[in-house]
Amino acid sequence: MYRETRIVNTPPSSTLDDAALLGLVRKGDEPAMASLFDRYSKIVYSVALRVLRDPAAAEDVLQEIFMQIWRNPDGFVATRGSLGGWLAVVSRNRSIDALRRKRPADSIDEMELASKYNLAEEAERNHMMEKARGVIGQLPAEQRKTLEMAFFDGLTHSEIAEMTGDPLGTVKTRIRSALTTLRKAFTA
Amino acid sequence: MNSTRHIERDDLVLFAMQLFSPEEAASAASHIEDCPECRRELAEVQGDLAVYAYTVDLQSPPAESRERLLKQVALEKKTLPPEIEPEPELPNRGFGSRSSFTPSSLTEDDLPRRSFGSKVFPWVGWALAAGLAVTSGNLYLQRESLRGSTAEQNTQIAQLSTDAETAQQVMDTMTDTTAMRVTLTMAQAPPVPQGRAIYVAEKGTLIFQANNMAPLESAKVYELWLIPANGGNPMPAGVFHPDEHGNASIIMPPIPKGIEAKAFGVTIENAGGSSTPTLPIIMVGA
Repeated sequence: MYRETRIVNTPPSSTLDDAALLGLVRKGDEPAMASLFDRYSKIVYSVALRVLRDPAAAEDVLQEIFMQIWRNPDGFVATRGSLGGWLAVVSRNRSIDALRRKRPADSIDEMELASKYNLAEEAERNHMMEKARGVIGQLPAEQRKTLEMAFFDGLTHSEIAEMTGDPLGTVKTRIRSALTTLRKAFTA
Repeated sequence: MNSTRHIERDDLVLFAMQLFSPEEAASAASHIEDCPECRRELAEVQGDLAVYAYTVDLQSPPAESRERLLKQVALEKKTLPPEIEPEPELPNRGFGSRSSFTPSSLTEDDLPRRSFGSKVFPWVGWALAAGLAVTSGNLYLQRESLRGSTAEQNTQIAQLSTDAETAQQVMDTMTDTTAMRVTLTMAQAPPVPQGRAIYVAEKGTLIFQANNMAPLESAKVYELWLIPANGGNPMPAGVFHPDEHGNASIIMPPIPKGIEAKAFGVTIENAGGSSTPTLPIIMVGA
């Protein structure tokens, strides 16, 4: 028997926070699922597109991730941090798996993620995005490029070292330094 | 890195990005499971990566993808366990104790006076049966309707599969590295690098194929640029490395819809590509 959940006298789902939306999704509320999609589909799709450079493949990743939320909303629990951050990283990881033609590992979604940002709020999301872009834009070109190659292109440190001719240690240090700068900018 | 020493931050970052070999990843995962400190630091690194992910240029997914998701969501409606309601107590006032109820031992005077409830109750069963019959009829009609729409969807799926198969064959042929690629030129003319771009601005779709390209060292790539007709900055339209025969292709790179192109150009960039072209432009076509 199918059961439809309708909540009366509640605000529209688009104004609810992520935890409330996930709670509704758990009860099978389709409008709540649509709200989550409207809130985060752009970042999930953009990350997948950047990694895969293929709109059709990126859309597949997008569908797969949101259907995963529908089927198992408990897969993400609030204690793991921000849903928006988690989705962005899962999109990247799933896309890298697709790039390597590797079966996605369930373990990649089981991550804790420390986040201080309420990415459910569009204004805060935009502010964080602009700030992060600013910080990355100020990084030395080698650091920026190395991080990009590792995160968005999924190249291992050995592959990056081979391509750039830099020692392995330098590659690792550049990636770490870039992320440290990013973290410092947000904790300052 | 072992079970007693903490994992260095450099390595935690690589682990978080799944850039470890399977053996290294297994060893790190086993340590992290038992080490709250490394787990905490890993969560911080994942948070950093999430922030970094948000630096990507935002692109809206195709409009149909929302509809597609919601269709799938509707197809996979959740079945929640029904709430069990307490069974309503049957009215037995006026009937005395059931255990001592033996009709044959009753006389006319012993029979209780039939209350309103006792008069109506026997009809309740018939009413329920009638209700069930109506419900069954409705369910039958719904099932038939669903069966009809399923058949229709199956036909659509079959058509889509055929279309997808054809599209896949076109794509496979264009990207197959073993495919024979022949560029016809004037007889006895030496082979020259050539690129052919097929671009639909309205849809933002682009297919590019190149032949006779000179080989590049591994740290360099060719990058294709779309030069907008409105005088805007050149837009990156994909990178490529030619195969041993000098052939390469870029199929459907992410390009926003509606950008009219004045020309296309190719430059040589460092591996991974660049966001601005490095001169000289080695190939150009308008």
